[in-house]
Amino acid sequence: MASTASLRRFTLLQKEIQEYKLSFVWTPVIVAVVLTLLMFASVLVAGRISAMGDTILEVIMAEKTNVSPTITINIDDTEITSGDSPAAEPVYEVEVASADDAPSEEDWNFSRSWRFEPEKRDKPDYESSEVGSLNPVLNVINGFFLLLGIWVTTSYLLGSLYNDRKDRSILFWKSMPVSEWEEVLTRFIVALVVVPALYIGVSMLLQLSFVLLAMLMVWRMDMDPFVTVLANIRFGDLLLDQVGGWLMTALWVAPVYGWFLLASAWAKRAPFIVAVAPVIGIMLLEGFLLGTDYVYAAVISHIPHYVGGESVVGFYINGVFWQEVDLFSMFCGLVFAAITLIGSIYLRRYRFDI
Amino acid sequence: MDHIVEAKGLTRKFGDLNAVDHVDFTIPPGAVLGLIGPNGAGKTTLLRALLGLTEYRGELNVLGNSPRTQRSRLMEEVCFIADTAVLPRWMRVEQLLDYASGIHPRFDRSIALSYLKDTDVRLNGRIKNLSKGMMVQVHLALVMAIDARLLILDEPTLGLDILFRKRFFEQLISDYFDQERTIIISTHQVDEVQHILTDVMFLNRGKKILQRSMLEIEEQFVQLNAVGDSAAKAQGIPHLGSQSILGGKAVIYEGIERESLAPLGELRTPSVADLFVAMMGGDK
Repeated sequence: MASTASLRRFTLLQKEIQEYKLSFVWTPVIVAVVLTLLMFASVLVAGRISAMGDTILEVIMAEKTNVSPTITINIDDTEITSGDSPAAEPVYEVEVASADDAPSEEDWNFSRSWRFEPEKRDKPDYESSEVGSLNPVLNVINGFFLLLGIWVTTSYLLGSLYNDRKDRSILFWKSMPVSEWEEVLTRFIVALVVVPALYIGVSMLLQLSFVLLAMLMVWRMDMDPFVTVLANIRFGDLLLDQVGGWLMTALWVAPVYGWFLLASAWAKRAPFIVAVAPVIGIMLLEGFLLGTDYVYAAVISHIPHYVGGESVVGFYINGVFWQEVDLFSMFCGLVFAAITLIGSIYLRRYRFDI
Repeated sequence: MDHIVEAKGLTRKFGDLNAVDHVDFTIPPGAVLGLIGPNGAGKTTLLRALLGLTEYRGELNVLGNSPRTQRSRLMEEVCFIADTAVLPRWMRVEQLLDYASGIHPRFDRSIALSYLKDTDVRLNGRIKNLSKGMMVQVHLALVMAIDARLLILDEPTLGLDILFRKRFFEQLISDYFDQERTIIISTHQVDEVQHILTDVMFLNRGKKILQRSMLEIEEQFVQLNAVGDSAAKAQGIPHLGSQSILGGKAVIYEGIERESLAPLGELRTPSVADLFVAMMGGDK
């Protein structure tokens, strides 16, 4: 009965998902189902009562006047402003965009590193700069799901190396031939990869149902759903944005997650306090003694949604933003994450009694 | 390998307290060793050192591995029940079996299922809904389905009623134990396990007081139940300890010819519990 290595890894991950099934699986599914039902109801009943319906309509109406909501994302960046209008905000670039002007479209596309634009040739009568204008709306859904996932992950991490010590079931887990580094790394991977994968997966299904419902709605309004909705979505970009965006975010939040694991392995009680209190303490101490805020700056730039320190960028790939991030800060974070993991493994090994 | 466990100068300190204090011992293969000591004697700490669950000083070798550095490998051949009712409460019984099947190379699911078939435990039931006795049955079924060479039981039946306790040890010996396996049991209910032990080790305040095989105990120790006038005489002979019995004294001697005591009263081999009390408490 030799257990293969992959069966072993699968079993370790499966156990985590079984234990937190409500948080990891049912929570996103229920939220998605509720949102879908709300959208469906709004499509059936009024077409535009719900906020979701309104958002679509705003997007579509905006297209008619050539002010795409894509530009509402704040890009404070000179790289994408063209040389002849330095003072103009990039937001208004659209005004110089003509239908067949490829370079202008390039300026417009936030994710130009990954763009593909076959629609331009296929649909010559549709303005290319508008293609993808529904992507931000869908990204918002994904961002909401990832925030939910991060909330769930935080509570998972804080309990993951604490609860079994509290109820003494650690004495059972330790009777199994699993090393402490496997236990800690499994939890780290669950937090950083498995939970986001589950949440992004459900979020994509929700986005699909959103798109279908939007098509249903515009069809009821006597518009062509294929032109009005489908043609406004770049599915390839969506996938890259949302999966790639999380992978980049994951590199940033890794130290925070590692810290939560350490607090969970360390705490005699209330892991949340153990995780938060010392950080706040150090920030206050630094402020009083030195009058600086390096700790605050370092911490905040590794908290999801404030990744990198300044811009509130959601969990999607914004090429310009990611080119500008402080790689040194990210590297320091990863080193810190490694230290917290080693600490957690040590504590799990020898200091597990409460 | 000559011994399953070899310890030399095994020491574990907590601050100033020597929980385990320079203990030397070996455990031969095929032994069922009873580890006996009062509360706080260091039994749990000693067993945890064997399992690599605590730091220690001194030399320690379990099945050829160092528990300090090779713990997870050691766990493939060593099984333990460290306390009653420590199974993860959120799990379903079959999830527990899935987990063991996926993780443990020596776990045989069909054996565990065959043990569980004889109990009231439902496979899709959650551990937290089981009674304490049933939880112990599940844990025992799981442990017995693992083809381990060393089984360590630290108070495995604490808090169970006598029927469960009896059944637990019966099953352990009749279905599980063979000459290839070694078992270490620590328990307060010495009388209930005495008949299955081949060896005993007494521990007090972190120190080893005694380690003998049951055979050696029979040869080296004798209990004299003396009544009336003989009781005083019996207590005049150098002895380990004594306690009152109806109308006289029960006195335990070490290394004394049985014939010389025979005139004073009834002779017998002391029970492990009585021997333990005599060595700990002296005269009562």
